[in-house]
Amino acid sequence: MSHETWQEQIRRGTLDLAILLSVSSGPRYGLAIIQHLEAFTDLVVAEGTIYPILGRLTREGLLASTWVEDEAPHPRKYYALTRAGTRRLAEMSTAWREYVRKIDRLMAASERGR
Amino acid sequence: MTLSDVGEARVNGYLFVLQRSLKTFLPADSVRDAVREIESHLRDRIAAADGAPNEREALERILAELGPPLRVAQAYSAERTIDEAVTTGRFVAIVRAVWHLAVSTVVGFFAALCLFIGYVVSVATLLMAGLKPIFPNNVGIQFVNGVPIGPAAEFPVPAGIDLRGGYWVIPLFAIAGLAGLVLTQWCARKYLAWWRSRR
Repeated sequence: MSHETWQEQIRRGTLDLAILLSVSSGPRYGLAIIQHLEAFTDLVVAEGTIYPILGRLTREGLLASTWVEDEAPHPRKYYALTRAGTRRLAEMSTAWREYVRKIDRLMAASERGR
Repeated sequence: MTLSDVGEARVNGYLFVLQRSLKTFLPADSVRDAVREIESHLRDRIAAADGAPNEREALERILAELGPPLRVAQAYSAERTIDEAVTTGRFVAIVRAVWHLAVSTVVGFFAALCLFIGYVVSVATLLMAGLKPIFPNNVGIQFVNGVPIGPAAEFPVPAGIDLRGGYWVIPLFAIAGLAGLVLTQWCARKYLAWWRSRR
């Protein structure tokens, strides 16, 4: 597997978690989620591919969406975490921290062994 | 940035292509919702590009960051059709998802070919179970050099073709056809679940 493929797999695998984290502090609309992700990560490769993921997370019941008509000259679709989404985010965050800790331990052991 | 007529036409053209692509696999209300959301994104980006010296360059950059309309539509398709197929297991949803992957990737094409063969062979076997009572001498198990090759139906039976089997082949073909259909459907669902786990 090439380095690019490996990075792409990590990116895809973490995108759901990153999107859920983006709306954990309060509802955000699509572009605001993208800007939030861009501010902290380089997970957004093409902005248009984030919207289908938001749609899937909504269908899975992890996000709830609402159109807000009067905030800007055009309507915006806001996404917020549902109760199931909050639970899933907690599970994913715990699993992610656990995963990173184990890989860190492995890397430290590997460096000590050199 | 307030768009000129040319800029508006460019945005509308982008949204038109997106809408046409989405229409091929999404229900009308989902298409409307998706296009509305993408337009909202574009309007926000355009409004934030105030002060850009060249409208054309600024607009092309905004559209490039969003991604080509076909790529955006493909992302919707991948999320939607494969999810629906894996979750519901409905035949139509599975066929739609397999077709989508077949026309967009090489692996998908060959997987679709294998699944297509599976479905066709299973349906043909079932069909032969139904034809046996009507054409008892034309349907049976074909033997070559005394070795059974598989179910066959010949109209008329050519010289040298050895078709054997009485009415007992009816339940055999029916069970084999049904088992083939169930197995192919199971493989299709597993394949799509595997594909979904890769994204």
